[in-house]
Amino acid sequence: MRRRNNRAWLGVAPVVLIVAFSAVLPLMTVVNYSIQDIFDINTRIFVGFDWYRETLRDPRFLDALLRQFTFSATVLAIEIPLGILVAKSLPRTGARTGMFLILLAVPLLIPWNVVGTIWQLFARPDIGLFGATLTALGIEFNYTADVIDAWIILVLMDVWHWTSLVALLSFAGLASIQEPYYQAAEIDGASRWQVFRYVELPRLRSVLIIAVLLRLMDSLMIYTEPFVLTGGGPGNSTTFLSQYLTTMAVSQFDLGPAAAFSVLYFLLILLLCWLFYTSVMRSAED
Amino acid sequence: MAEVVLEKVSHRYPEAMSDTFSNVDLVIEKGEAHALLGGSGAGKTTILNLLSGLARPSSGRIFFDGVDVTDVPPRERNVAQVFQFPVLYTSLSVAENLAFPLKNQGWRGDRLRARVRDIAERLELTDCLNRRPDSLSLFEKQLVAIGRALVRPEIALVLLDEPLTAVEPATKWQLRRVLKLAQEELNATMIYVTHDQTEALTFADRISVLHEGKLLQTGTPADLYQAPAHEHVAYFIGSPGMNLVPGEIIDDAYRLDGCAVAPAMGVPSGPCVVGFRPEWAEVTTKNVEGPMVTVTRTRVLGTRDHQPMGIVSVDLQGQTIHTRQALNVAVGATARLSVREDRVVGFRAGIRLHGGLANA
Repeated sequence: MRRRNNRAWLGVAPVVLIVAFSAVLPLMTVVNYSIQDIFDINTRIFVGFDWYRETLRDPRFLDALLRQFTFSATVLAIEIPLGILVAKSLPRTGARTGMFLILLAVPLLIPWNVVGTIWQLFARPDIGLFGATLTALGIEFNYTADVIDAWIILVLMDVWHWTSLVALLSFAGLASIQEPYYQAAEIDGASRWQVFRYVELPRLRSVLIIAVLLRLMDSLMIYTEPFVLTGGGPGNSTTFLSQYLTTMAVSQFDLGPAAAFSVLYFLLILLLCWLFYTSVMRSAED
Repeated sequence: MAEVVLEKVSHRYPEAMSDTFSNVDLVIEKGEAHALLGGSGAGKTTILNLLSGLARPSSGRIFFDGVDVTDVPPRERNVAQVFQFPVLYTSLSVAENLAFPLKNQGWRGDRLRARVRDIAERLELTDCLNRRPDSLSLFEKQLVAIGRALVRPEIALVLLDEPLTAVEPATKWQLRRVLKLAQEELNATMIYVTHDQTEALTFADRISVLHEGKLLQTGTPADLYQAPAHEHVAYFIGSPGMNLVPGEIIDDAYRLDGCAVAPAMGVPSGPCVVGFRPEWAEVTTKNVEGPMVTVTRTRVLGTRDHQPMGIVSVDLQGQTIHTRQALNVAVGATARLSVREDRVVGFRAGIRLHGGLANA
């Protein structure tokens, strides 16, 4: 007979408490706000799903959502292949490898608002290296006035900031492939594409899943860098979900709609990551 | 399949102080199963890499069927290789793995499918064809790797780099049997690298023994066993290895502890190493010619005609000698060592002087 012993729960209790106070309770507070109209501490009205309905009909929300998807899809489509390419072109061993890895890690260590500031200066058409160079070449470039220019500089900044992460993860994946796999492919007459497709990609799979998940989540939550770089403009052309949410909650103090927005935003990220993860896992079983 | 010739091949790794091996001359016949036997660092794997084209010799030439392939890249050499652990394309099925090298040569359709099925049948892999490598046992995986090496029918050379290392001992025999059968049926020229003398002796038609970058001897298993050209070969082959006892030659006779044990006609007098296999000697209390020894240990290996048989270890002037014989002597007893004089092999500076069956 096995004696039941519930004392193990005591060991879990601290974690449960921390998670409850740091994540579950704030989240439930947000849910609570999202179904009420709040005037002051004592005056509140239960409104049900009104704020949700309003948010989903808000054209500014829908525009921000569309921009958000466009932005995430664009940076993922660039950063994942580019990261793999960078990882593949790194020397596998030797003294130079360590140096390259440290250089690659540098953008990841810079505070995000500093990244925004760096690129804001870099892109300025009057004194920025990038902007001024383009201007000198006769190419009109003004990211504070032109929507396309603003997007270009935002995407460039994100690629600069985050490709390193994909590259470092891919490098770790590639480093785990033993030499005989390459030798066998060489002897079997495999082309370079086949070596990538049948030797490297299968072994990069798990790190790439992590890389895509991290980049998907992070890009969906992007806030600081565009806030510093473009401030969401010109117009609202680079206002993404988080920035619109902040405007709503902090500047306009619309707590109810902002809470409904937050819950929707949270569910959206959760849903996308879940969809990606399950589809990848299902394809692995076939 | 092809005849493989190495002509004065040397190899040195960049920045290395000395050659991995130097001046190796070797001829491997068409359809031969050849083993490269040696300890770690002997240069076995480097020779394989030279043959597959993954490495280039620093000097010397390599010929396949008379054609100089020294500078031909691996994919154009038409060789296949099996590695120490199963190297498979994990995202492809077993059938696709087997088809991979053929597809790269332009095989398509029924011809491709028939060839894959044929190889799978020979290696008893038919049931696994649609499975992924992940779901196979280590034994089956290595079998698939061997299948991929054998699948190209006009393959010049199949290289095996200690292919049984990763496989469990229980299935090693089975894998070796399948490999040997396939080698005979397909008549493939195979080079098998191993540090295990049993694997080499049971698999190969001929064996080359490598030691510290030198090719010591090439010959049939019987040659190596009975007429080792070098002390190291004598010691490396056989279990227990050949007895190698410091002795001397005086007046055309090998002497141990002063007693003549075998003739050494025409060999200059002086110190030498006297070599004889454990089964070529007997420790006996009978009154025979031979040096006096003390029995230190006996080990039973079996019986013959109800007589216990095994290994007798004796001490001769501080040297331990093993004999394989009937266990009719007691530990601690003083006895005489009698050696079959027609089998004694002498070595000086590691090299065989005289004797052994080749010269007998």
